[in-house]
Amino acid sequence: MRHEEKILPADPYELLGVKKDASADEIQKAYRGLAKKLHPDLNPGNKKAEEQFKDVSAAYALLSDADKRARFDRGEIDASGQERPQQRYYRDFADQGASRTYTSDAGFADFADEDLLSELFGRRGRGNLRMRGSDMHYQLEVEFLDAINGAKRQIMLPESATLEVTIPPGTRDGQVLRLRGKGRPGIGGGEPGDALIEIAVRPHPQFTRKGDDIYVELPIPLDQAVLGGRITVPTPSGAVTMTVPKWSNTGAVLRLKGKGAPRRGGEAGDEYVTLKVMLPDTPDPELETLITQWRAARGTGAHRSTGG
Amino acid sequence: MRMREFLLAARVDATALETWVTAGWLIPRRDEEAADFSEADLARACLIRDLQHDMGVNEEAIPIILDLIDQVHGLRGMLREVATAVCAQPDDMRRRIAVEIAARASLRADRSETDT
Repeated sequence: MRHEEKILPADPYELLGVKKDASADEIQKAYRGLAKKLHPDLNPGNKKAEEQFKDVSAAYALLSDADKRARFDRGEIDASGQERPQQRYYRDFADQGASRTYTSDAGFADFADEDLLSELFGRRGRGNLRMRGSDMHYQLEVEFLDAINGAKRQIMLPESATLEVTIPPGTRDGQVLRLRGKGRPGIGGGEPGDALIEIAVRPHPQFTRKGDDIYVELPIPLDQAVLGGRITVPTPSGAVTMTVPKWSNTGAVLRLKGKGAPRRGGEAGDEYVTLKVMLPDTPDPELETLITQWRAARGTGAHRSTGG
Repeated sequence: MRMREFLLAARVDATALETWVTAGWLIPRRDEEAADFSEADLARACLIRDLQHDMGVNEEAIPIILDLIDQVHGLRGMLREVATAVCAQPDDMRRRIAVEIAARASLRADRSETDT
């Protein structure tokens, strides 16, 4: 970069913004003010600043030297009479990455703390590119009971590979399972990404789930509703027997503790059984006789039970 | 380059240079106990010299300025890498990123307007 340069024969006084009769102090002050604004190393991205700084520096070189200033004032030399030797600015080295010793990542080191940005700005040695592989997203539909009790499934991957997925007991609809290291491979020795599997749980004809609790509606025969007794109740982990207290009405809710969906740490939600009293499927004359007697004994109509 | 050559090229004296190296403003490579200065070290020394002599920056402010400049270059380097990575993306993706950046910039401008 040592080509012949035509410096504009601009007025050095004008360049520094001082009067013709400015004192040496005033000239220095003016130059310092401009240098602080224009020095190329203080303006790493501004090419124009460099040109202006050169002009201003040349002007200062001329006017700060009493002898040269006098000669310029007398018209013996022109404004381009002196030029400082070409200085190679630090910014040029820094921009080419030739100053790794000095360049600091403190200006964005905190970006690595943010989840989203850590992939871009964190976990990376300076210089050689090391990138974590990207995550892969999959969706998997599982049966209601498999989600609650846990299961193993296989996902077919595009390149005729398969991915073994363990569905942990208690998995919820919409839950995302992360399989570490099963995503895309990393670059330059970076760790591989993860496989993210979003679980969609199919509905069940009998059970519904709210949080970790299971709800089920259980029909019971009239005699058990009136007299109580032991009944068999379906739960996600298999049928259990429970006692219905005598005189249980439709809508009565019984709780089976720990029979809901498993939680992490060994606990589990509960199952809530809503009873539904059922008359026998076919008309039963014996029962009808019984109820007729029962109504007569009470001496009032059936509407009484709904009245007040 | 060796110390003598460096002092001449940078137009600084040996005492000043020693102070700068001790302060960590300049970090020359060392081989067999002698300092070996690079072109980048030279340019950096010229910057320190300009700060001190031409701009009248005092001793205490120099490391602050150097640190900020080093951070700016770190940021510039990273910004360039990000920009280069964006440019390597397909057209559609590049356009989406450009729109996103523009939208965020104008959002920020709006916010700072309402703040003041």
